[in-house]
Amino acid sequence: MATVTNWIDHLNKPAEEVAGAIYPGAGSSEGLLVIIGFIIWIGWHVIAARQESEKLEKLARKRHGPNDWKSNVTDG
Amino acid sequence: MTDELGALTTIFTEFYYWITVVLMFLIHVGFCMYEVGASRYKHHQHTLMKNTMLIPLVTVTWFLFGWWIYWAFPTGPGLAPSIMNESAALITDESAFSAKWYVPTSDLMAVNLGDHISGVFWAAFLLFSWTAASIVSGAVIERITTFAFGILAIAIGSVFWTIDAAWGWHFDGWMLKILGYHDAYASGVIHAVAGGFALGILAVLGPRIGKFTSSGEPRNIGPRNPWLVTVGLFLIYTGFWGFYAACNIPIFDLGPEYGMEGITYFTATNIYVTPTTLSGITFNFLMSLSGGLLAGYVISKGDPFWTYSSGLAGIICASAGNDLYHPIQSMIIGMIGVVIAYKMHYWVERKFKIDDAVGAVAVHGYAGFVGLIICGFVLNGYPSSGYSVGAMWDGTTYASINPLGMFIGAIIMFFVLGMLPGYIIAKILHGMGKLRIPREVELAGLDYEIMEAAKDDEKSVASATR
Repeated sequence: MATVTNWIDHLNKPAEEVAGAIYPGAGSSEGLLVIIGFIIWIGWHVIAARQESEKLEKLARKRHGPNDWKSNVTDG
Repeated sequence: MTDELGALTTIFTEFYYWITVVLMFLIHVGFCMYEVGASRYKHHQHTLMKNTMLIPLVTVTWFLFGWWIYWAFPTGPGLAPSIMNESAALITDESAFSAKWYVPTSDLMAVNLGDHISGVFWAAFLLFSWTAASIVSGAVIERITTFAFGILAIAIGSVFWTIDAAWGWHFDGWMLKILGYHDAYASGVIHAVAGGFALGILAVLGPRIGKFTSSGEPRNIGPRNPWLVTVGLFLIYTGFWGFYAACNIPIFDLGPEYGMEGITYFTATNIYVTPTTLSGITFNFLMSLSGGLLAGYVISKGDPFWTYSSGLAGIICASAGNDLYHPIQSMIIGMIGVVIAYKMHYWVERKFKIDDAVGAVAVHGYAGFVGLIICGFVLNGYPSSGYSVGAMWDGTTYASINPLGMFIGAIIMFFVLGMLPGYIIAKILHGMGKLRIPREVELAGLDYEIMEAAKDDEKSVASATR
């Protein structure tokens, strides 16, 4: 995966070869990484939306009054 | 980088934009404090969490497609040919500033020894994106779901403001060429579009329970912690310094850029590559802030919430032309913007029963909209760009700044790219039953269970003896 294994050798290359990407997997892994990025992004929405719906439904079922929260105020 | 002067210029520019990003982070800190201060106790933590989560959501999507949109769409597409490749299509060819280089798979979107600018420039624009989404966040507090807000934040932060930036901010943007659009520090590009977007959402979302009486009279649900609101707004002011600096190019030799043979002229420029100075915009930033505060204090009769917000509205209103205005002009324009924004806020609230919890539509939307229109008159005749300036669009030159073009530009920003998409997306989310929290939860408070757990924890700790 390492794109550079020796900095002295790397910087001694012609300028056009030095000026380039140095992250692991440069030139071969970008497509896969972006697909993974999209999956994480969309997946987060799906999971977070499900969690939020469950929480809201549970709280809604309890039908607390608008001032009930005051009994939960802590004084530290 | 093998040439010393070139390396110094590159590293200075890299560091300059990096510093603006750090400063602009304070805008988000300020928005978070402001929103928490404005929300009621029983909703505090969810209000904070909602605004916090826009950071990763907008950042990831900005990486995946937002930044690409900015570089791909300057031509409309189809409205005005690019000065780079003479095509009116999406700019995805091999040209120097093509969107091709900013797809997420590009090796320039990572650590690259051949490119020291892309990442910091990407981040500076990303912080604008957060600001756009955060403007919307304040307006909808205490009743929107986090899921819906996340989708809407991505829509404004990584899609619609990016399109307007491509059209009206990019050096090759069609609005510059055809309309003579000028918006140096984003009265419209950020503020009017985000304010309009928020208004579109609010029209569907509806007011908080209790905001209006049965006869339709608005009740005041004022800020629960005015001190937090105050500090939040001061942090937003502070972050705005970074915002202004980020809208400039810090050092540019305009001689060769304008095609003037043998001429060397280094200067700071605005985003349109026309000259300005950090000195000049410092005058104008502070004078427009002052104008806003002065006007806000008087028109709200010393109300702290509105006075501090008016400082921001003053800057926002003058921002379109603050690269060129005289400081007194900036101050007066800031004052005019505040008066109109304040009056419009209460008129819209009463007339249409719109509950804008923090006045975001007024401070950002109306002040930004008015600022664009005023800019068209005050800067009438100035070149809208450093490139090929002509009297009006003839296919090869850029239009000069003019009142009609700026008015049309304001409509595009506030209504076409702001309010309309906000309304449509909110309608879709509403149709899915995902836009608004249940009524019972709104009454109980979004933080009810967190608070209840905290009380139980406190009890168990208080009864402990060891």
